[in-house]
Amino acid sequence: MAGALSSLKIVEVGEMVSAPYCSKLLADMGAEVVKIERPGAGDRARTRGPYPGDIVHPEKSGLFLYLNTNKRGVTLDITQPEGFAILEKLVADADILIHNVAPPDMDRVGLSYERMRRANPKLIMTSILPFGLTGPYRNYRAEDLTIWCAGGICVLNGAPQFPQLPPLKTAGQQAGHQGGAHGAVATVAAAFAQLRDGAGQHVEVSIQESVASIPEMTFEYWPYMKMLATRWGQKPLAPVAPMECKDGYIFLCCIEEHQWRNFVDIMGNPEWAEEEIFKDRLVRAVNWDALKVLLEPWVAQQTVLDLYQKAQARRVPFAPVSTMGDLLSSEHLKARGFFVEIAQPVAGTHLYPGAPLKYARTPWEIRRPAPTLGQHNAEVFGKQLGLSQARLDELKRKGVI
Amino acid sequence: MAKPPLSGIRVCDFTWVWAGPYCTLQLAYLGAEVIRIETRTRPCVTRMLPPWPDAVFDSLNKSGYFNQYNQNKKSLSLNFKHPEAKEAAWRLIKQSDVVINNFAAGVLDKMGFGYEEVKKVNPNAIMITLSGYGDTGPYSHYVSYGPAQVPLSGLSALTGYKGFPPMHAGFSYADPNAGVHGAFAVISALLHRAKTGEGQYIDMSQWECAMDVLAEGILEYTMNGREPERVGNRDPEMAPHGIFRCLDLPEKILDQIVDQWVSIICADDAEWARLARAIGKPELANDSRFATLAARKLNEDALEAIVTQWTATRKVADVVTALQAAGVAAGACADAKYLSEDPHLAEREYWVYREHPEVGKRQHCGIPWRMSGTPCEVKTAAPTLGQHTNEVMTGLLGYSAAEVEAMRAKGALD
Repeated sequence: MAGALSSLKIVEVGEMVSAPYCSKLLADMGAEVVKIERPGAGDRARTRGPYPGDIVHPEKSGLFLYLNTNKRGVTLDITQPEGFAILEKLVADADILIHNVAPPDMDRVGLSYERMRRANPKLIMTSILPFGLTGPYRNYRAEDLTIWCAGGICVLNGAPQFPQLPPLKTAGQQAGHQGGAHGAVATVAAAFAQLRDGAGQHVEVSIQESVASIPEMTFEYWPYMKMLATRWGQKPLAPVAPMECKDGYIFLCCIEEHQWRNFVDIMGNPEWAEEEIFKDRLVRAVNWDALKVLLEPWVAQQTVLDLYQKAQARRVPFAPVSTMGDLLSSEHLKARGFFVEIAQPVAGTHLYPGAPLKYARTPWEIRRPAPTLGQHNAEVFGKQLGLSQARLDELKRKGVI
Repeated sequence: MAKPPLSGIRVCDFTWVWAGPYCTLQLAYLGAEVIRIETRTRPCVTRMLPPWPDAVFDSLNKSGYFNQYNQNKKSLSLNFKHPEAKEAAWRLIKQSDVVINNFAAGVLDKMGFGYEEVKKVNPNAIMITLSGYGDTGPYSHYVSYGPAQVPLSGLSALTGYKGFPPMHAGFSYADPNAGVHGAFAVISALLHRAKTGEGQYIDMSQWECAMDVLAEGILEYTMNGREPERVGNRDPEMAPHGIFRCLDLPEKILDQIVDQWVSIICADDAEWARLARAIGKPELANDSRFATLAARKLNEDALEAIVTQWTATRKVADVVTALQAAGVAAGACADAKYLSEDPHLAEREYWVYREHPEVGKRQHCGIPWRMSGTPCEVKTAAPTLGQHTNEVMTGLLGYSAAEVEAMRAKGALD
């Protein structure tokens, strides 16, 4: 059985996270993706770890290996006219072009929807850009942290008891992943519309706007109440917080009143729980400082797994603060087969995060590992585009491929 | 005018709280007709959470939280204690392309709307469950709420200041992350159905979706057997890479906020040289303490102190303008007020202001993409509870006005 998107042909001009994650989502569901990298260095993600055995090597970057599964890889310098002409040939043969070439660089190389649709009038082109393609910040330089801050998320996290410390980023490169995931939604929607209308189009995704779309209720505090949420959000309910047990951290989580009542029962119904200052979830949040010091001594006597399972048995949604080791040894994730083993000739065989979802009919599957740099040049430029060996040699000499 | 991409697609929406509604919000943005099934007897949690206008909770229709994530949707109120209400839901399921829920595994089956039953009346339906733990495995029946998914996923263990305990992300990140992945899954399944005629069931775990955006941390463990260290805002391949203090606001907003922050990053030595020039210390570019990435990582405390010395006496907007002009990635660490007044988002017409019967026009977050051929638009504010009950019952579901009144009198439409 083929994947749900096995009919789609995609060309990716992507670096780091956003566009590569977008096309990975499609590739893992069956789409054919040709990834274009710069000759020489390749995708900047190749310069980032983790590396097996800490050996820095462009074919061993864990981030790159994860983000580029199921893609074929070619090298092509699209800043040279001959390279751009080959990009146009590739696009002529594809359904979708996904890129995150920054707007000033788009201008410099002449990458625009108007030009690409001349190569392929039915093309869908998805541009995933830090601040979008219009507006005063269009040409701003941005790394992942820039956008996680500019989208209004960083300000929500930090230690309120240490105001001298800065707002705190979320681990990893979350702006890029959100730009990629929102981009994937819009891209497959455009592919669906194309089945109906037969037309291609330009899909422009702003990573800043993707990030600004996900701050829970915190943004709306401003237009609704002229209040600002900072550091840990505007926590309206309690207890919703991590707390230290004997052997690690657990996350206490009582969103609904019956969950709190069940937790109080698990604690053996201490007298203080009946105090007026803890009578409902909103009041408990206001009086969290007092509640916290009453909970801590009891929680410190528990083990994480025992309290987790006791709470879940009473339908209270506590969760452990999982370490990476906890995830890899989780019986639940093992039973679901979440982690997948991927063998790549240079980096070796390792476990990677697997499918975000399970389809009943169309599989999510790893058909090939991430490409080595230029691995499929001969196959794509030679067999697919029909360039002769002499021409390939010439392009190589000129540094185009 | 071209129609939005999912126009003509109908979604029967059993979702609540946030992950599910964020999924159906994407579909509603894309033009699908999303009909929420709700009940007054157990309203969506977010209808009862702040923010509310004037901080007063006197209506299930005033929450800014609910009103943000349910734009462009309809609300059908049904009380399943009455068999007639279940019959109405079945009429909707029969005429829907997609059925969505985010209950824990098995809950919808107990209500009688499991996939096996749905398939009998609508064999080509696409159905997705975005549960916390997924449909299978020993913890599949566990309950999960957004805030607890952040620590469960491993994100908390990776997030935090150096030497401090694990931290949260500050919001229930796993919820929208699952929602957006779920929307992608549904549309992909719609594409498959358009080509083959086949519907299908999709089992989605919020926990697994969250781990899919954490590969760097997980691979540190699978490749090297190490738990990654928490490093605050720093980065192994870039320095400086942080959030720096700017000039405080002249007066507190709401007696609360004065501190202001800016993110500054140098991805390579050339960018560091540009930053050094921009802060009036060009000699630091070649200073042996800072000239290379390795040196800057070794002396990062001193490096950050030098950057802070410059930023701390300047306004955020001035820092961003000056550094961007110099070719350095700098950006505001924006709070809601800053975003709400941001000239860039305003010029891009990101914000949405739609008339709502109980809260009027409020500023809401909009659609993060623009489609040139099939434009998407937020046409309506979030629905009040049951706002579309009459319209859907007498229209799509084929009930007479008298039948609807009889059901209402019994409480079946509560």
